[in-house]
Amino acid sequence: MASIKECLSEFAHVARHPEEQLKKYRSQGMKAIGCTPYYAPEELIEAAGMVPFGLWGKAGVPKKAREYFASFYCSLAQMNMEMALDGSLDGLSAVLFSVLCDTLRPASQNFKVGADIPMLFLAHPQNRRTGYGVTYFAQLLENLCTELEKISDRPIGEEDIRRAIRIYNENRREKRRFCTLCAEKAGLISAVDRHLVMKASYFMRKEEHSRLLRELNQALEAAAVPDFSGFRVVTSGILLDSEKLLQLFDQYQLAIVGDDLAQESRGIRVDAAEEGDPIRALALQFSRQNQDPLLYDPTIYSRSSYIKRLIRDSHADGLVQIMMVFCDPEELEFPDLSRAVSEAGASLLKLSYSHEMVDFGQAETSLETFAAMLSEKREMGT
Amino acid sequence: MAEQKGEFAEKNRENPSADGEKKEAKLMLREVVAKVYEEAFEAKARGELVGWSASKFPAEICETLGLHVVYPENQAAGIAARHGGQRLCEAAEAMGYDNDICGYCRISLAYAAGVEAEERPMPQPDFVLCCNNICNCMTKWYENIARMKNIPLIMFDVPYNNTPEVSQDAVDYMKGQFYDAIQQLEAISGKKWDEQRFAEVCRNANRSAKAWLKACSYCSVKPSPLAGFDLFNHMADIVTARCRVETAEGFEQLAEEYEAAVKEGHSTWHYDENYRIMFEGIPCWPELKKLFTPLKSKGINTTAVVYAPAFGFVYDDLDGLMRAYCKAPNSVCLETGVEWRETLCRENQVDGALVHYNRSCKPWSGYMPEMERRFRRDLQIPVVSFDGDQADPRNYSDEQYQTRVEGLFEEMEMAKGRGEEN
Amino acid sequence: MDEVYTLGVDVGSTASKCVILRDGREIVALSLVPYGAGSSGPGRAIEEVLEKAGKTTSEMAEILATGYGRKQLTIAEQSMSELSCHARGAHFLFPGVRSVIDIGGQDVKVLSIGPNGMLENFVMNDKCAAGTGRFLDVMAHILELRTDELADYAECAQKEIIISSTCTVFAESEVISQLAAGCDKADLIRGICVAIASKVAGLARRIGVRDELVMTGGVAHNRAVRNALAEALGHPIKSHEYCQHVGALGAALFAWQRCHKLAAENSN
Repeated sequence: MASIKECLSEFAHVARHPEEQLKKYRSQGMKAIGCTPYYAPEELIEAAGMVPFGLWGKAGVPKKAREYFASFYCSLAQMNMEMALDGSLDGLSAVLFSVLCDTLRPASQNFKVGADIPMLFLAHPQNRRTGYGVTYFAQLLENLCTELEKISDRPIGEEDIRRAIRIYNENRREKRRFCTLCAEKAGLISAVDRHLVMKASYFMRKEEHSRLLRELNQALEAAAVPDFSGFRVVTSGILLDSEKLLQLFDQYQLAIVGDDLAQESRGIRVDAAEEGDPIRALALQFSRQNQDPLLYDPTIYSRSSYIKRLIRDSHADGLVQIMMVFCDPEELEFPDLSRAVSEAGASLLKLSYSHEMVDFGQAETSLETFAAMLSEKREMGT
Repeated sequence: MAEQKGEFAEKNRENPSADGEKKEAKLMLREVVAKVYEEAFEAKARGELVGWSASKFPAEICETLGLHVVYPENQAAGIAARHGGQRLCEAAEAMGYDNDICGYCRISLAYAAGVEAEERPMPQPDFVLCCNNICNCMTKWYENIARMKNIPLIMFDVPYNNTPEVSQDAVDYMKGQFYDAIQQLEAISGKKWDEQRFAEVCRNANRSAKAWLKACSYCSVKPSPLAGFDLFNHMADIVTARCRVETAEGFEQLAEEYEAAVKEGHSTWHYDENYRIMFEGIPCWPELKKLFTPLKSKGINTTAVVYAPAFGFVYDDLDGLMRAYCKAPNSVCLETGVEWRETLCRENQVDGALVHYNRSCKPWSGYMPEMERRFRRDLQIPVVSFDGDQADPRNYSDEQYQTRVEGLFEEMEMAKGRGEEN
Repeated sequence: MDEVYTLGVDVGSTASKCVILRDGREIVALSLVPYGAGSSGPGRAIEEVLEKAGKTTSEMAEILATGYGRKQLTIAEQSMSELSCHARGAHFLFPGVRSVIDIGGQDVKVLSIGPNGMLENFVMNDKCAAGTGRFLDVMAHILELRTDELADYAECAQKEIIISSTCTVFAESEVISQLAAGCDKADLIRGICVAIASKVAGLARRIGVRDELVMTGGVAHNRAVRNALAEALGHPIKSHEYCQHVGALGAALFAWQRCHKLAAENSN
């Protein structure tokens, strides 16, 4: 059995070198499809015998993408465009673009005309819980299958999709188990490593990711609970994809015991049925997704109750909102989130975040102070 | 509601100005909007339900059911135009809403939370009608209001289109929502759906839309019988009252007035018409005067206003209604968006384009750089942009705007010079 | 027991400040050098404060750094964030303090403080320089004045010229065009002070302010900004002649607390 350290270093390598992974799969004769956020039905890509590659931008300042965007657009959309224009996405056979926010709508159009990669388009229905919503989404998924078949040049059978669903359910289960272990054994896995483990799955076939993660989880289960005197925090937002920033969490002993990040846990909460019509199973899976600022919430209160539950279940001292600059869905839900955190009795920190950030001085000041505040609060409590 | 309508018709007949010399269209249209708000207040006072609706939610539903609705976007624009925008935006920011969020949305959230707005008061909602053909921001905006008030929210989701065509699957999905919305509203209000009334409402809506589009089309006459900016003044009607017969009548008269002006050689544009331009985007309502100033002084008439005809929903049947509601500026693909604008520019014979990068409107401004390139290439006209905001005056710089308009003017002069040389 | 001296050093982005404290109770000496992180400022400020107090580094029981450049100050054994230090320093000067607004060179911070002086919540500016000390510097430069001269001018204003843009670049062009149009300098400066106050007030409202409200940082010396801010928030604002030294004072207090704690642990 591989050691914790060996597993982590493998995940870290993959997460840091997506280009190597792409090269590897291509050399094995596989095609890769880029997937922009959010809720890409990756199962269909797997079913078509291709590898999905998650596109969550990269650190840096948009240059070529500035030809397509004014300054007030999030760095995620801009950097995905930048990657398409600077050659970082060369080797992908197509990019699956979904449009769940106001920036992604025009971003899809910019990508379509500006990037030299074919675009597959998916507009998820927001009224996804209703019968007609499920039927409609199932139809969109059928159409997507047809597009994918053209690229992979082979038919996608029902059994292929069922197999893909089993693979993805397994991967989601292992990821959830990993997140739980990180919370149960706070201090064992650094914030940086936790992120890299999750991120690596965007550049690996899920079977491979699950295999390695299963080993890691077993090793973590066997490990003793460390003596951890720091603080337990939950992260929330679109993504926290900067090792520099994550290192500050480790430096100030803020262990991430749960997350509500689009790039990490939001996408792994719901599994799909492994029996019956597999396309319908995927449509139903999406219909059950909720508690996300990107999605219409038919019950209007589910996000705040979810956040409170997350804080309670993970015994978190605080929640750190990673506020993607210019992300209006997250910004619009911030007051409600902030109420939920306070009702859960936890402390809240809001950190601005963008792929363009090079100086984390203000973030460091905030995290250091947040840790000091939690510490004073603890002293007062005891 | 049908009876009430009948009463209005009676009143109109009794109205002395209706038989003798006609009332000016702009007065008629102003009164229609005033009445929408007045009736909503009266309904609220009687203890009836009042809804808040997204501007492009299918208005036909509430009109058929006889439910009173008012329009937060229209209210926000009204407040902003009367210079209350910053006050309400700041109040929303104090509630924790970031200043990047759409200005309409911030104004509306502040008003819903109880911040007064004498500029354009309206009754607080008992239900909200959300439709995202205009933008996704709507979704969370309306959810926030629904939570704040603990009231029902009805969602009408219009999928964003990547192609000019709307698929039958999308139409069926929307029809499902349409029937669902009717059921939900029947349950909320206890009112009953009436197919005959619905047919009448649709006739009115189409009549208004056609008359509105006809009025807008007079911008194509050279010289134009109207100042293109005038159209902004009438948008409140097409937003808040498009299913009412009085609106149709108002727009029909407006078109007649333009027709007469063409014959008589008049115009509401009282300046030289040296150049004709397209104005792209929602205007900066708080700065309407400032936007207008350099244009009139240089004799530049905005004969193409992208925003105005965007509300002209014309359809034949229920499927057509669904397709019509898919054609909002922010729900169509780049190709359709370019096609609309370029057709408008050609028909209305523009010499240049002025593009508003609107901080409040990410979906709209998000493909403007590419559109600008296409306008230049396809229409061979100069295109100039400026930064601003539809409601928050803090995101606008008059200095920048004036410089940009001057730049556009100079480019048009040069182009004209070249044209004359050839 | 011998007297215990502690030194707090606040290495800001545009200035370095020092405070020497005796027994965590009495301010012995202060210094301020208008150069911040990465310059000779911190070293000079330390030299100056020691000289004023007639002490040497070795006589300091503890040196604690704060501010933007706190991590680079090798002479300090410890560092704390400027937020914690401002809270502690303000509580020392005003025991009833519940809110602190600190306008620094590139940051604006609003702190919410508990009845016991504990930092309960905070918020910092994001994205841009509007509302920071930098904004005033830029404006002063256009007006060919020193930043510290602005308040005197603003007090002579007959009226206020409204600067509507939040963006520093836009506001700059607004100011230039007003100047070019020949408007009164004093009226314009009043407008600038109101603009910065309105931006800061927006930030402050996010976490709410309570009395006593204390303003710290260099901009607290500017009466025009202070008054405009008080008006915008509807709360009187207290300030102190040592307003620029509050961070350094807090650092010296934390340093003393550490000595005290260590001593207590040792004696056990």
